[in-house]
Amino acid sequence: MEAPAPVTSATSGAAPLIAVDRVTKRYPGVIALNDVSLNILPGELHAICGENGAGKSTLMKILAGVIPDYEGEIRLRGAALRFGDTRAAEAAGVAIIHQELNLVEELSAAANIFLGRELTTAWGLLDERGMNARARELLLSLECDVAPQARAGSLRVGDQQLIEIAKALSFDTDILIMDEPTSALTETEVARLFRVIARLRARGVTILYISHKMDEVFQLADRVTVLRDGKWVSTLERTATNAREITHLMVGREIEATQFTEPRRPGEVVLEVNRLSLAWPGHAKAWRLRDVSFQLRRGEVLGFAGLMGAGRTELLECLFGASQVPPQGRIVLSGHEVNFFQPVEAMKAGVAMVTEDRKRLGLFAQFDVGQNVSICTLDRVASGGMISAAAEERMARASVARLGVKTAGLSAAITSLSGGNQQKTIIARWLLTEPKVLLLDDPTRGIDVGAKAELYRVIDGLCREGLGVIVTSSELPELLTLCDRILVLCEGRLTGEFTRDEATEQKIMEAATQREVGGRKSEVGSGSHSGGN
Amino acid sequence: MSTLEESHSRSLLHRYRNEVGLLIAITVVAAFTTLMDPAYREKPIQNLQELLRQSSLIGIFALGAALVIISGGIDLSSGSVIAFSGVVCSSIMLLLAPVSLGDDAPKPLSLAVLAAAILGAMFVAFLIGTLHAWLITVVRLPPFVATLASLVGLRSLARILVPQINVAQHARKAAAMLAAGITDDDSSKAVSKLLEAYDPRFRQLGSTWWIPLAIFVVLIVAMWLLLSKTVIGRHLYALGGNEQAARLSGIRTDRLKWLAYVIGAMTASLAGVLYCSEVASADPETAGRGYELTAIAAAVVGGCSLQGGIGTVPGVVLGVLFLRVVIDAVAKLFKGGTADDFEGMIVGFLVVLAVAFNELRQSRGGRRIEFFPGALGALTILILAGLTGLLAALTVSARAGYTAGGVVLAGLVIARILKRRRATSPTPASEQG
Repeated sequence: MEAPAPVTSATSGAAPLIAVDRVTKRYPGVIALNDVSLNILPGELHAICGENGAGKSTLMKILAGVIPDYEGEIRLRGAALRFGDTRAAEAAGVAIIHQELNLVEELSAAANIFLGRELTTAWGLLDERGMNARARELLLSLECDVAPQARAGSLRVGDQQLIEIAKALSFDTDILIMDEPTSALTETEVARLFRVIARLRARGVTILYISHKMDEVFQLADRVTVLRDGKWVSTLERTATNAREITHLMVGREIEATQFTEPRRPGEVVLEVNRLSLAWPGHAKAWRLRDVSFQLRRGEVLGFAGLMGAGRTELLECLFGASQVPPQGRIVLSGHEVNFFQPVEAMKAGVAMVTEDRKRLGLFAQFDVGQNVSICTLDRVASGGMISAAAEERMARASVARLGVKTAGLSAAITSLSGGNQQKTIIARWLLTEPKVLLLDDPTRGIDVGAKAELYRVIDGLCREGLGVIVTSSELPELLTLCDRILVLCEGRLTGEFTRDEATEQKIMEAATQREVGGRKSEVGSGSHSGGN
Repeated sequence: MSTLEESHSRSLLHRYRNEVGLLIAITVVAAFTTLMDPAYREKPIQNLQELLRQSSLIGIFALGAALVIISGGIDLSSGSVIAFSGVVCSSIMLLLAPVSLGDDAPKPLSLAVLAAAILGAMFVAFLIGTLHAWLITVVRLPPFVATLASLVGLRSLARILVPQINVAQHARKAAAMLAAGITDDDSSKAVSKLLEAYDPRFRQLGSTWWIPLAIFVVLIVAMWLLLSKTVIGRHLYALGGNEQAARLSGIRTDRLKWLAYVIGAMTASLAGVLYCSEVASADPETAGRGYELTAIAAAVVGGCSLQGGIGTVPGVVLGVLFLRVVIDAVAKLFKGGTADDFEGMIVGFLVVLAVAFNELRQSRGGRRIEFFPGALGALTILILAGLTGLLAALTVSARAGYTAGGVVLAGLVIARILKRRRATSPTPASEQG
């Protein structure tokens, strides 16, 4: 029971820029937002925190005109209004940067910035030159030096995000909503984004910042609002609270930092990779991966760190037989050299992979939870090709119970589960294949704090049962928590190896950005060798 | 616990709501037709038999088309596969038949020849399906393109093939006559553009009402077992639902696609043989023309999603029945044309309706749709009114046409004006407090 304090005494003098008044949004069977009231003050950076499903994104979509029908009222500068679509919101100066970016990949950066509001010449034709010049100016003001003519799809995620911000700035936005903007960014890109945010605030832009990363919230925010299960829980001054309290309000219970104190005892080598290289056809850089060698032992968690595009996902894909072109080099699994052309071969040999993009590459949305678990191992519950429903259910139930998936039942829709439980469902699927090596590609992406800690415990438990586990992550603290050893990739090459005791964020970042510090010469060398660029 | 059971039974009804809805719709349409048209009342058995025979012929290849759609693909070639299979089947029969001399009726074919003809047609379909699978999985053509090429190409190939087969048959006959010492006064006649298939036993296949039905029922059972009880079936749904995830889950997606397109082509070929038997000839010009869309329509009306991964065998069967019942009803009630004339219109209308219904159901709870916005909406109102008027004029009378068109026009215009007024009037929420 927190004392309701929607507007704190220190700032109650200023008139709110946005007043959210008793807003409710119902979906069939779910109340996404339940009677939420909230004031946003002019010029502040207001963080909205909450676990997945707390209603953060729904509220922001209402503010940005993405969801036009809801109960309750929104007042902008004191005047009640209801945006029919995002254009109306944009006209009123409200823009949203979605977590999943909304760029037309085939169009240039400049074309994306002016999409829908293209500049034209006196003849009514597109004013490419004018748009490029203006785009360049906007991008430079955001520390982004990509060419306005560059195809949006060819850019890094961090740059794509800045294009979205530039787009928002191009129509004089004074309220910017950012939905988990750092979830796909590397640390350097995050630092740049924070500088951009500081610059926007200096211009007087009011920012609504959705995140569940406490360090970001406490670095940036003036005030923090916590939502839980669609309800407003509390709005606090940053200076009057701490990360522990916010986390507590978000989950409704205390979360201790996960620590695996009991040392693991790695066994014999289960996977050995020798000078693995992966060609990158049709690309200026000839190799996605170059001469990567390492060993993985039973009962060990091996982490791969690296910036976006360093080749983490590609490495795991090679080990799983899922790469676009076959890799070169030797992969030895339990003493036998293997050469996978298809994931099915890797699966049969005892390698399992949980992919990075759950929705696109992992889940079968039309299947229920049980069917999602059993899909890889149906042969085991079938005779003569016919599935025994009872045996299938028994198998799925056991695996779901082993991982502690929270679900209404095996016949519940997979889409009704939270992100963390969806991820556990996919791990449950793969554990049934009795793998020797488990590959986890950014397993906690888009998963909230409580579920993360639980997932760490699951991974630790599996490792102690004798699995060899490889984890990649874009969050260094995660790797430092989980892994016995951390290897660092930089542009497809292995640039560092640290044991748990040696590893620090500082050292890993240095290895991951070697290209920018010491690798200049080799970069020039490989550039001339690949020609053209 | 009781709430769990309750929600379970509700989810059962929810899961089969499409099938239940179709069943009700079929009953309503059939009852209405019986009420309005004396033919149904006077010869109920005969009408029912005809209805079942027609439905079975469509259903056989609609099941194949649905399987392809569930696996996430599309097979546009079935109409031409039907024509081509008829040609293959009757060619084999012609060329293996003993040459009859003179004008006496040809002798009945042996069972071996009949079997060879049917199996030959099926084997050719297997090759066609395999070619589709290769184009799609190896060359990586979109299924739409690969099967569209077959749709156009196979019919053309059949048309070139038929005169050649007839020429060869004439040559055989001429050689046999020469050997028998009979002179042929008939050799100068033009080469026919269709192949004849008179054999009495072969003719029974498609024209006896229960034979297509029996084949259809066997196929329904087999397909239902395959899709809902086997590993392959589950994998097909997975493939259609999320191809990438299926591949990464260790499913051999290329083999599954091969299976899907082969089944799609072979069911079409089976239907082709039956059609050929029904009309006693293989006419590459007209056989199966447009049927690919009828099959896809039956699948879609039966609840298959064109995105793949969704659809059931009972749904497709009911979709076929519904389509046929409606076509029959329209043909019986409006004397303006034959069933064939109406078929395209009904198929088009029902497909739009079914897909639109699915879309609306999915976006339920989202925004309310304004159906006639702006200039597009105004023009659409005119188009719909004109179309209704034209249909009424063609099927009833010119006067009915004007009336129906006028009523639709007035109704939609009034609805639009009312909606506009409601949208622009101030909502109570925006009053200042």
